Amino acid sequence: MTRSDAEPKARGAVEYGTDLAAPHMLWAALVRSPIPHGRIVRMDLGPAREMPGVVAVVGPDDLRDLLPKGALEAERPVFPLDEIRYRGEPIAAVAAETLEQARAAAAAVAPELESLRVDARIEDIFPEWPSEAAAKDPRVVGHVHARYGDLDAKFRNAELVHSETYRTSGVHQVAIEPHACLAEVRDGTFHVRSSTQTPFGVRDDLASILGVPPSRLVVEGTWVGGGFGGKGAAFLEPYAVLLAVASGRPVKLSLTFEEEFELGRTTLPSIIRLDTAVSRGRIVGRRVRLLLDTGASLPGRDFAVGYSIGFLLGPYRTEAYEIEGFALQTNQPPFGPHRAPFAPQSVFALESHIDGLARRLGVDPIEFRKLHAWREGDRTAYDQPVGPFGLEAGLEAAARTAGVWRTGLPPGHGIGVACGFWSTATGAGGEARLRLRPNGLTILQGEREIGNGSVIRGLAAVAERVLGLPDDAIRVEYGDTATAPFDSGVFGSRTLGALGQAVEKAARSLAHTLASRVGAPAIRLEMKNDQVVVVAGRRRQKLADLLTPAERTAGGVVALGKHYAPERTVDASRVLAGTVYPYQDFTAAVHLAEVEVDRETGHVRVVRYAAFQDVGVAVDPPGLTGQVEGGVVMGLGTALSEEMLWTPEGRLANPGLLDYRLPRIRDVPPIHVKTIEGFAGAGPFGAKGVGEPPIIPVPAAVANAVADATGTRVFELPLTPERVARALKLL
Amino acid sequence: MSDRPPQRKAINRLLVEPSVSFQLVRPSTPEGAIRLLSQAGAGEIAVLAGGTDLSWDLDQARIAPIQVLSLGKLPWKYLRWENGSLVVGSTLPLRALELDPHVKRRLPGLWEAIRDVGSPALRSRATLGGNLGRCSPVSDLIPMLLAFDARVRIVGPNGAREHPVDMVLQESRRTSLGPAELIESVILPASGPSAYLWQRVQPVNDISQVGVAVAFVPERPHWHIALGGLQPRARRLSEAEAVLRSARPTRFEMELAAQEAARRAEFVSDKRATESYRRRLVAVLVRRAIQTTVERMPKPSPARKGTR
Repeated sequence: MTRSDAEPKARGAVEYGTDLAAPHMLWAALVRSPIPHGRIVRMDLGPAREMPGVVAVVGPDDLRDLLPKGALEAERPVFPLDEIRYRGEPIAAVAAETLEQARAAAAAVAPELESLRVDARIEDIFPEWPSEAAAKDPRVVGHVHARYGDLDAKFRNAELVHSETYRTSGVHQVAIEPHACLAEVRDGTFHVRSSTQTPFGVRDDLASILGVPPSRLVVEGTWVGGGFGGKGAAFLEPYAVLLAVASGRPVKLSLTFEEEFELGRTTLPSIIRLDTAVSRGRIVGRRVRLLLDTGASLPGRDFAVGYSIGFLLGPYRTEAYEIEGFALQTNQPPFGPHRAPFAPQSVFALESHIDGLARRLGVDPIEFRKLHAWREGDRTAYDQPVGPFGLEAGLEAAARTAGVWRTGLPPGHGIGVACGFWSTATGAGGEARLRLRPNGLTILQGEREIGNGSVIRGLAAVAERVLGLPDDAIRVEYGDTATAPFDSGVFGSRTLGALGQAVEKAARSLAHTLASRVGAPAIRLEMKNDQVVVVAGRRRQKLADLLTPAERTAGGVVALGKHYAPERTVDASRVLAGTVYPYQDFTAAVHLAEVEVDRETGHVRVVRYAAFQDVGVAVDPPGLTGQVEGGVVMGLGTALSEEMLWTPEGRLANPGLLDYRLPRIRDVPPIHVKTIEGFAGAGPFGAKGVGEPPIIPVPAAVANAVADATGTRVFELPLTPERVARALKLL
Repeated sequence: MSDRPPQRKAINRLLVEPSVSFQLVRPSTPEGAIRLLSQAGAGEIAVLAGGTDLSWDLDQARIAPIQVLSLGKLPWKYLRWENGSLVVGSTLPLRALELDPHVKRRLPGLWEAIRDVGSPALRSRATLGGNLGRCSPVSDLIPMLLAFDARVRIVGPNGAREHPVDMVLQESRRTSLGPAELIESVILPASGPSAYLWQRVQPVNDISQVGVAVAFVPERPHWHIALGGLQPRARRLSEAEAVLRSARPTRFEMELAAQEAARRAEFVSDKRATESYRRRLVAVLVRRAIQTTVERMPKPSPARKGTR
């Protein structure tokens, strides 16, 4: 089995967003605010317009002329109409003949600005945990609150209450390809090519930001050089479209790496408080409180809190609970999804807490988790039935491996376990059009391959499994939002689980059509001399001979598969404020880490790692292993070194890869990947998505291993040497 | 483009220089290089000896030289042993030093300092002369050169001179080199065992929070301890050195020297580490580096061992 994109990518032959070009194209640059919070008193764009090579400059005052009325009331204005809310926020944009000219003109804009008070961090808003009255602060921009059961009684009668506070840092997706797009106006339609995870999502975002109907927008995805959640919504596209409108020429906009960091759309810091009541060795009540920095985000703040908070309850049975979370508006860039949005951070807090509780009770941490782990048929906190779920099986497998590692464990080493839980976003719909030609099968769909293989290999593997065709006879094709069938996009680990179902349905429909033509109950396909052959029992017929004359003209048999899942609901009586989100699917991950801690310096080295991944069914085993390994490596960054450092003045101190530390290959330990199969998910053949689950337990597993090695818990991510040294009271 | 008058394009090219624009000159003799340096005004010329640090300044537009003088064609990419001393031409890539088995065996501390600079790709470009000339406070190599009492051969319009490395370094990013002078080579005198230890968040492509160089040399004082990662520049810690009196200090003496080093070092807090953590690291790494150096001493002969 091969990845058909591997060779052209290695040769540099595919077009990424940063490679986009068009005849007569202009280059764009953004004018970005030098202050994190304030107002524009005066901004004269005249001098920039006179700079060499400049063709168009647009700022807040131009929006009225360029856009329909409705756009000015958009939830997300293109430029700040009132307040500048973060340092680096685009306040104007320039298009010029060359990139250097555009940047020179952007640098020449010298706005007169009035600074306002800066809230750079959660602590600037709430130095202490907020009281109920403080929650009315205007900077509290989202509030989610849910409860169930007689919690007060559980806490009152508890034999033990375990209370802790955890802190997490902002982490960046760091896709190796920066954001990039190219916009042009053709026949009154806005055409945008963009490196995006969600072409249809960008189309709809653009429609609301620009105030134009979606029918006047066509978005075409390019090859994506890594997304990790960071390329899932309209971002640069509105600026490129505005400049294209103002200049009448195609406009390309791409970011420098420094801009990638300063414009954010990343995970932001949080403070998490957990109180757990225990009676007779079991958890009987949970109180979970979350302060989530959502930066300068406008839409989606409630979502960030409602989504995060689900992970803080975890995949454990709870008799009574109360969860409450606040979204706080700070002068950091907008919050954005990062592979398994906010799950690694929430799970770090929860799984550290559970681990510490087990140790406090003198119980084996794995056994303690098994005691509470969801099994199929249990009810979630929001009263949904739990589907097939491989958590207990994963814990059992992890216990065996931990036992082996434990024998002969060198001094200074420790072993940590952590569970993760994910709900594949199979609720988001998608369609796929399959065309079976005499020489092979094509799958036309509306996603782009973002690197993980779920589109180019995963979808092909589904068709392969249904029809029996070898993978080199199957080609995945891409379209723009005008030509491809609708799809929600690459997020929530849903490509295989959701779009894969559409492919499966279309493939089954093709098989059914052909079976009825040959008068057999079932068929499979194979290739012979580059021709598709239909096999039914002992009979074999060339596909070409089974086509109707019309199909011969059209080029084959076509089937459209649609996947639209039924809506899931939660028990609304438990939700007092805001929105919580129903689970679509139930995917477990259990991780084990062995670390070595330098007891004198606090330096942590991960010695070996094992990931037990609940997959339902492994549809594409090599791709699956790659995804799990990649998730673990990315999680090691969140665990040990990745952290956006904001100064109290609202400036990012490390907008580059020297001091924003991604894991290097020397940091990566041997990773053993084991699949847990047999707990079917909603995806094709029972498959579950594995894009995001493998990153989730990593920070917790590492932190728990550090606690095992040293007897000391670290309450803050990432576990840098200095932070561990402080926890060990070395300074 | 095609819909624009051609003259406009030509004018644009004249008016707007790309953000990084300079003339690259590559003289093939030291005399030619010195002449070019003598002719240039202040800030007009930058010296390129590998470029792994210079390119960062150019990229960030911290400097805007008219010319960049590459030393790449000068005959200074050599490594030779003279009377037990190692002489390293200033433009020899670090990778060549790293791969030399004699360097690793005879100057293990230098080898350790070099091996963990940046990444293999970076070490294939970076040079010892460049590292010294840039005089970065976070250099991993300068502490080791200080511990070895390295000498620096400098050439310029008035001929050649040779100075101890400590005199060449002034403060952060400043050396005592004249405007038309170049580092030709670095001479590392014969030495006993040595060690270099660092602490970083990550082992590769990261900057040391603290670097500790220790060398045991034939003359008194035998123990040389130098620290990097401090402000304004790396330096020797004679107070800590004075604690170590013998070739095989006791564990207590090692600890005392380490504590003295931690007490005397001048650190600042920055985004890479706080001052108190750096002090902690010095206390640990100095002791370990001395210990490692002791372990690298030639083993006493078996006969003597038997008489103890």
